[in-house]
Amino acid sequence: MTFFLPVMAGPKGFIKPMHKKRKPVSYLFMAMNSPCDIQVDGDDVHLARELGALAEAEAHRIEAKYSRYQENSLLSQVNRSNGTPVEVDTEMMALLTYANSCYELSDGLFDITSGVLRRIWRFDGSNKLPAEAEIEALMPLIGWNKVTLGKNVVTLKPGMEIDFGGLGKEYAVDRVLMLLAAKTDSPILVNFGGDLRVSGPRRDGSPWRIAIESVEPDDPSAATLGIKSGAITTSGDARRFLLKAGIRYSHILNPRTGRPVIGAPRSITVAARTCMEAGIMSTLAMAKGPDAERFLREEEMPAWVLR
Amino acid sequence: MQLSKKNKGRVGATLCLITANLFTVTGLHAQDMTDSTNNPSAQDSAESLNVYDQPASTPGTTTIDSAVLFYKEDGGRIQAIEPMVSLTHNTENDSVFSAKLTFDSLTGATPNGAAPWKSSQIFTSPTRQANGDDENEGSTGASGGTIVIDPITGQRTLEYTADAFMLPLDSGFVDQRTALDLGFTTPLTSGTKLSLGLNGSHERDYNSFSGRASIAQDFNNKTTTLSLGVNYEHDVSKPFFGTPTPFSVMSGDQKGPSQNKNVLSLIAGVTQVMTRNWLLQFNYSYGSVKGYQTDPYKILSVVDPTTGAPQSYLYESRPEKRTRHAFYASSKLALGSYVTNVSARYYHDSWGINSITANLSEHIPIGDLMYIEPGVRYYHQSAADFFTYYLPSNVALPLFASADSRLDSFNAITLSLSGGYMINDQIELYAMVDAYRQSKAGQKGTLPGNNQDLKLYAGTNALSMMTGIKIKF
Repeated sequence: MTFFLPVMAGPKGFIKPMHKKRKPVSYLFMAMNSPCDIQVDGDDVHLARELGALAEAEAHRIEAKYSRYQENSLLSQVNRSNGTPVEVDTEMMALLTYANSCYELSDGLFDITSGVLRRIWRFDGSNKLPAEAEIEALMPLIGWNKVTLGKNVVTLKPGMEIDFGGLGKEYAVDRVLMLLAAKTDSPILVNFGGDLRVSGPRRDGSPWRIAIESVEPDDPSAATLGIKSGAITTSGDARRFLLKAGIRYSHILNPRTGRPVIGAPRSITVAARTCMEAGIMSTLAMAKGPDAERFLREEEMPAWVLR
Repeated sequence: MQLSKKNKGRVGATLCLITANLFTVTGLHAQDMTDSTNNPSAQDSAESLNVYDQPASTPGTTTIDSAVLFYKEDGGRIQAIEPMVSLTHNTENDSVFSAKLTFDSLTGATPNGAAPWKSSQIFTSPTRQANGDDENEGSTGASGGTIVIDPITGQRTLEYTADAFMLPLDSGFVDQRTALDLGFTTPLTSGTKLSLGLNGSHERDYNSFSGRASIAQDFNNKTTTLSLGVNYEHDVSKPFFGTPTPFSVMSGDQKGPSQNKNVLSLIAGVTQVMTRNWLLQFNYSYGSVKGYQTDPYKILSVVDPTTGAPQSYLYESRPEKRTRHAFYASSKLALGSYVTNVSARYYHDSWGINSITANLSEHIPIGDLMYIEPGVRYYHQSAADFFTYYLPSNVALPLFASADSRLDSFNAITLSLSGGYMINDQIELYAMVDAYRQSKAGQKGTLPGNNQDLKLYAGTNALSMMTGIKIKF
């Protein structure tokens, strides 16, 4: 394990790579509601532009297919199916199968059908909590075990919806990185809104320097991580919460209860080989609430937790 | 405390496997990936950039693999050239079809089982050349035999001579073997895999057919895999000049009809993912062989109990039943792209042979596109109960006896080095060199009389080399 800082460093707000030496060439675009940054370690501006365009196209392809906001997306077709089976392609089936494994692995804590809860839980920093009856009314629409996966066919119960929010961006980062790494030997960093992955160490063998900004607005102590390979993601956001009667409700919802996880850290950053693994692990750690640190320690994941 | 220890890394380990699987399924070709994402046995955040960290199979691809193996034993013994070509197709739905065609060509000399003596010895060759039909069969049996024609019956017999003081070798050994193997593997339900296969091989004096089926089931989020397999083999031995009666005197006469042998094998195994970078595997296999298992070409010397001089040569005799048990354990430990392989095997059979094999190899990536893998193997076996170097003429014949050096006790060390290089996304070159050295284990037998200088045992030293190319499309 290259690094393991057990607790206490402050991530998110925004994570961005930081370089003291020769700067890699950067290509910026917007996708999936996030600023996306492709960095190519080298002097070839043309290559960076070419790879950037490729990355942008792939990101938009994934977004157009799996976004629940775009009504023409394959996912929207599934979400509108109202109980009828929908045929999906190999890629989507693989993602659904993946989500299924994550659901089983997490005993239901990772559930891509839980997105409907956002209709009633609005994490705007206010004190508006949904009514008990509202929660109970939504619960029948939640539960991955109610989804039927056939051979290239998925069937949702009427009213249910799938949300790739916890997977899609991470999947896109992994895909894009692999795609670009196949095109060039130059070291690459792919960063979609703070979920990032590198293809390997920089050309001189040094790690990519990633600055983790503190969530506290006026905390000047920003941590710097060195990452030579693999991925980093962060769950949690200091600005998305509800505050009622002194209790801070995190925006991480427990699909089994329909309610926010109590006692969750404000943010968790996890390093893993792939962005998907890091993303799932940080989400799961969040869902463990007060046990987040213990969970990460037992899993031997390099992680940074902010309480 | 115990519980939490046991669960350590469980989620991460499984996640690692299913993520690797995801990117295999969603069709980013293995070559497109320059890190260890796709290798369940590779370590996490280490700087692994080697293409060999990826799995061999990608859905929707076909791989042609062709290779040639050269095998050469020291001292002009067996040499073999074995070209092979295989075709593997991975379908989009995770099924795998495979076909492999192998052709062997063996020539050289092999110990015939007789004991050495202080003067030259003459033996009857079991090869067919004496009948004069070798041109049609492609048999040469060449090296320096003499055709002897019986003046009364007109029967032609090929004889060969072993030099004095030398372990007698039958130098007319020529064989060609063609083998075809077909395999099919398909997922039945998620987590269950069925494999079926057929195999057939043909030699001029030996045919073998076998069929196999196995099922593998994943448990515990794919961290545990149990497998059960069965294999049934039917062999037909039709020696040149027929099957000799056990312990009959060596001759060039036409002998008995062809003989059969059936082998039933069962194998049960468990593969366990211990952590993200550690894999354990255990197998038990059982085999029951029934039928003709004698080597129709091997003989034994009957010697004078006081001088050790050969009096006659008899065909050997082996039991018709053999029950085999084998236990196998292996561990694969990955540290970055470096993979350490350790395995051990214990074998016992009802003929009294016990053997152990220990194997150690290290997979070492070199740059992005290459790897090498040095390895060492140690092997030891005890002799079969009925193994003997010779039969004293004053002792009644046992029920079974063989002087086949493969049933003797010995040790062997193999040093190996293999490596591979990806020329591009689709083409891989690979090569392997093995050096094998046998040595005698336990007591060395001697002939009666003052014959300690006559070596009854000649360990085999062999070198094999293989080179091949894999093309994926």
